[in-house]
Amino acid sequence: MGLLEFFKDKGFNASGDKVTLSDGNVWEVLVDPEVVERTIEGSASLVVLHSAEATKMHFDVCQNSSLKVVELFAGDVASTCDVYQQSDSECDIISVSVAGSAANYTVNLDGCNASNRLRSAYIAGGEERTKVSVRVNHNVSDCTSDSLVKGVAGGKSVGEFYGLVYVAQDAQRTDARQTNRNIEIGKDAKIITKPQLEIYADDVKCSHGATVGQLDGDAVLYMRQRGLSEQQARRLQIEGFVNDIVLSAGEIGECLAGELTTKLESL
Amino acid sequence: MLSVKNLHAKVGDKEILRGINLEVRAGEVHAIMGPNGSGKSTFASVLAGNEKFEVTEGTVEFMGKNLLDLSIEERACMGLFLGFQYPVEIPGVTMANFMKMAVNEQRKFRGEEPLTAGEFLRMMRETSAGVELDSKLTSRAVNEGFSGGEKKKNEIFQMAMLDPKLAVLDETDSGLDIDALRIVATGVTKLHTPENATIVITHYQRLLDYIVPDYVHVLYKGQIIYSGDKSLALKLEKEGYDWLINEHKE
Repeated sequence: MGLLEFFKDKGFNASGDKVTLSDGNVWEVLVDPEVVERTIEGSASLVVLHSAEATKMHFDVCQNSSLKVVELFAGDVASTCDVYQQSDSECDIISVSVAGSAANYTVNLDGCNASNRLRSAYIAGGEERTKVSVRVNHNVSDCTSDSLVKGVAGGKSVGEFYGLVYVAQDAQRTDARQTNRNIEIGKDAKIITKPQLEIYADDVKCSHGATVGQLDGDAVLYMRQRGLSEQQARRLQIEGFVNDIVLSAGEIGECLAGELTTKLESL
Repeated sequence: MLSVKNLHAKVGDKEILRGINLEVRAGEVHAIMGPNGSGKSTFASVLAGNEKFEVTEGTVEFMGKNLLDLSIEERACMGLFLGFQYPVEIPGVTMANFMKMAVNEQRKFRGEEPLTAGEFLRMMRETSAGVELDSKLTSRAVNEGFSGGEKKKNEIFQMAMLDPKLAVLDETDSGLDIDALRIVATGVTKLHTPENATIVITHYQRLLDYIVPDYVHVLYKGQIIYSGDKSLALKLEKEGYDWLINEHKE
């Protein structure tokens, strides 16, 4: 089931509706909003579906507050998402793209002990161009950030990742991770990846890395030896690669995995 | 069941198998031993259909068919199972999902209906208990983060799930402590019936204390230079391969 059908099934009617899921979480569902501006006190969970409109989002996450955002890009659209986090706040973003979109995240960790986690997966096919850029600014000490972006490019598509972790001079004891992993399917697909660190503090733990790989031939051989066809083995491997990102997200994660699988079948 | 005649295979320009002859009938257990680099793992890979190796001469018949004409997955579906020396990790793909596809693909090949989710789960539960594989592992990604022993147990678990006609176990004992070795070997013995056959490739006699072979073959420089019964393994353990190799040279 796709994400929108899933929410309709749970009673969603129009953009802005709130839907309670079986885990007790209340999700506000937005469809193609032009502008989203929120100040979060306490906790908030948002689902944003992008299919036709460019979206500009701005979140202020207050002290001790938490924000969860799930985004699905089902159209060739652009979005920007700026997050400002105060001390002891948490923000968790899961973003999936199946339609050649451009997503631009800027996270500002402005209060101590704030933590940010971003998980993003995309599959690009045909002549699509999918772009994810993530800038995390560690402006104060003792914050944590962890960004993981996984891309799959098939056909003649292009996948792009631009990452920057900025650690200000006073942002001691920063713990920042940024990872970009990609799979190129076929010789006409292209991945561009540019992970960067800019560190001005001296007591920090930062790691970044990027990989671009083909499918793992040994894994395909292993699966075929158990009876799967080569095509099934390849598909299962790509599915596994991207599903990793979404499966921690419960029922919503399953829908996102479904969206990714549908896209994969169309490659 | 399996008839190998004068099998030659190479990787790149290097000939590794230089004329292997082997007959395996239903109900038999064969052990293949031999020094490092003698071609044991290559033989297993060639039987499984690994495209890295090129067969240059000879024939292999399996269940009445020309094995060398078949794809890797066709061989698997016909009942050829390879227990990998180094089982591969597949991130994001759960054991349950992977095994369900494998079991149902093999059923489809045999013209059987796929198992329902319930039937499959019951089968998986019973089978994992049978080989003492922690049932939690079946909900994890394939081999990811498994210990060496767990990976090998997982091979035996998959073998039990797929119920092959011929299992080729490539150094299943390497890297196992004595308890894991016992569990793996007991699992293999339990799965053995008069209708199926097993080829155990091993370095050490140790494994053959648990899996008692009908025949022991010594592979050296790509050929089986000597075959005997299980007492051969004991003699090799004590005296090494030198006497055989010298005899072969003469």
